[in-house]
Amino acid sequence: MSDHTATADTRSAGGAGVLPPSVRTVDVWKTFPQEPEPIHAVQGISLTIDRGEFTAIAGPSGCGKTTLLNMLGGLTRTTRGDVWIAGQELGTLSDRELARLRLRSIGFVFQAYNLLPVLTALENAEFTLLLRGVDAHERRRRVSALFAKIGMAGMEDRLPRRLSGGQQQRVAVVRAVVGEPALVLADEPTANLDSRASDDLLAMMEVLNEDLGTTFIFATHDPMVMARAHRLVHLVDGQIDSDDLREPPASGDGG
Amino acid sequence: MEAEPIPSSEGLSVGLLIRLAFRNVRKSARRSILTASAMVLGLALLILSRTLADGAHESWIDQGVRLASGHVAVQGAGYQHSRSLDDLLGAADLARTRDLLTSPDLSRNLISTAPRLGVDGLASSAGSSAPVLLMGVDPAAEPAFSLLDDNLVEGRYLEPDDRLAAFVGQGLLDRLGLGLGSRFVVTAADASGEIQGQLLRVRGVYRTGVADLDQSLIHLPLSTAQSWLGAEGGVTALAVLLDSSRETRRTIRALQRQLDPAAAEVLSWREASPELDAAVKIDDLGDWVFHLITLAIVALAILNAILMSVMHRQREFGVLRALGLTARETGRVVLAEGIMLSLASGLLGVLVGLAIVFGFWRDGLDLSFLMDSELEFSGTLFDPVMVPAFRLAQVGWSLFFILLIGITASLYPAHQATRIDVAEAMKFER
Repeated sequence: MSDHTATADTRSAGGAGVLPPSVRTVDVWKTFPQEPEPIHAVQGISLTIDRGEFTAIAGPSGCGKTTLLNMLGGLTRTTRGDVWIAGQELGTLSDRELARLRLRSIGFVFQAYNLLPVLTALENAEFTLLLRGVDAHERRRRVSALFAKIGMAGMEDRLPRRLSGGQQQRVAVVRAVVGEPALVLADEPTANLDSRASDDLLAMMEVLNEDLGTTFIFATHDPMVMARAHRLVHLVDGQIDSDDLREPPASGDGG
Repeated sequence: MEAEPIPSSEGLSVGLLIRLAFRNVRKSARRSILTASAMVLGLALLILSRTLADGAHESWIDQGVRLASGHVAVQGAGYQHSRSLDDLLGAADLARTRDLLTSPDLSRNLISTAPRLGVDGLASSAGSSAPVLLMGVDPAAEPAFSLLDDNLVEGRYLEPDDRLAAFVGQGLLDRLGLGLGSRFVVTAADASGEIQGQLLRVRGVYRTGVADLDQSLIHLPLSTAQSWLGAEGGVTALAVLLDSSRETRRTIRALQRQLDPAAAEVLSWREASPELDAAVKIDDLGDWVFHLITLAIVALAILNAILMSVMHRQREFGVLRALGLTARETGRVVLAEGIMLSLASGLLGVLVGLAIVFGFWRDGLDLSFLMDSELEFSGTLFDPVMVPAFRLAQVGWSLFFILLIGITASLYPAHQATRIDVAEAMKFER
């Protein structure tokens, strides 16, 4: 276990309240069997991320960011080590239980937006609420409030192909946060956006982070995202190279 | 830590499933239309060929039973095996059977009945002789039953006052070197087993095109046959003609319930004319092979279309899984699309199929341009004009099969959708 992860664990132990942290990993490994040598994409990462954190996991391509994020989201199982999300150990869950944990506790934002092409902006945004059996009135109330907050009011009935990349990603963020999950995992969310749209998106996420207390974890190599993260975990070759707490930027600079 | 129990209301509801499936089918309009076209065409073809085959079979059966035993043959007990004039259906049982057939329940499907006394014999002219089937018939009842009189080429059919008249096939006349008005002798064993001769005169000549009939079957008046063969009042069979072969079983059951099995046995056309039965069965088998090939082609078209769609939508399924759907629910989305496509295509296919059938309803499908001579098949003539026979149950079965095929063909792609590696699927680029 590296010094950096030890620091992270120590810090979270001090900061943890009654509620379990959003994320906790202990000596997590991910190895992909491959000839001639297996690839160790993630090598013994231990990390604790508390509720409400706005964390960026950065590093060069191939450093294991996305693999780590996939393991945190229960999309890939670890080769070794344990992951806890909101106090639940993912390794003990069946695939079905894992799917339901994602539904209730994890929101995803992807690089390619990944809205369901046949659903409107509103239907995409409320999709996880639909799966959770939330009634129509409550779904509309929550989505409308968020759409208004992020400047998407009036675009509810548009299909994804009628929205710009930035707008699609905003809808994807609403979809990720609307169910008030324990954490939102965002994999390169700004990679396909221009700087203006990226800035808008990040500002919106910051607002949601502050207003809803949603935990955000980004995998990114976008300096703009790194600059605005409250905590920056740097990966190199599947290991934590550095883990720094930063001062939150002055509010309102994102426009 | 133990996982929290999953609330049962969570997950993909039927409403959401249908909405997703419907939108996906609609979104891939071109693919859906192509797939649906295969199904519509397949089903329409299935309905058309099924109704035409049924129509053709019904026509064969009608032809076959009119020339032979009827849909139902009531015979003397034991005659079917012994073929002996000792086992005739007596006058009393004949009358009783006819009475039963006039009951409201049976008469509603009854077209006519014909008493017959048939024996194998020999027909001889001055120059030649030939084995024949001698059939004593009621000249008043027979024309409503048999097709033989419709095939008259010369002279006339038997009339009630005829005594020594014979209605003979063209083939037999040629063989015996006879013509209209000629006299000839027939010989057969009578009820006591003695060989008896009878002089007959050719009153009419027929030609059906079925060589077996034209060269062997002779109609003569029933009364003449009875007195000649010493079978007073008795017949070998009362042939019963119904308006549809599908009424056969019901009629047989009703007759069997009320006739004394020691005196009379009731046979279906399948038992009385096993050749005709075999011909219909063989043709039916051929039709089903054709249907199965059609269904297999349709199944492959659906399988291909849905499998391709699943392969192209790996990332979409990855997203669904990431958002909280289980693998099984993802498969259900694919299955629902297959079912929806099958259902829509199935209904459209029925409509198209029925429209085509309706088009051939009145005049039938005329295949005579394919045949330059008469085609004989198992003792009946193949009618080149095929008229479809519509049965709701048959259409229902066709629809059922096409839906079954659609659903079965969607199972494999649905299974594939449950097996995707979510992390891998998310790597797919647009």
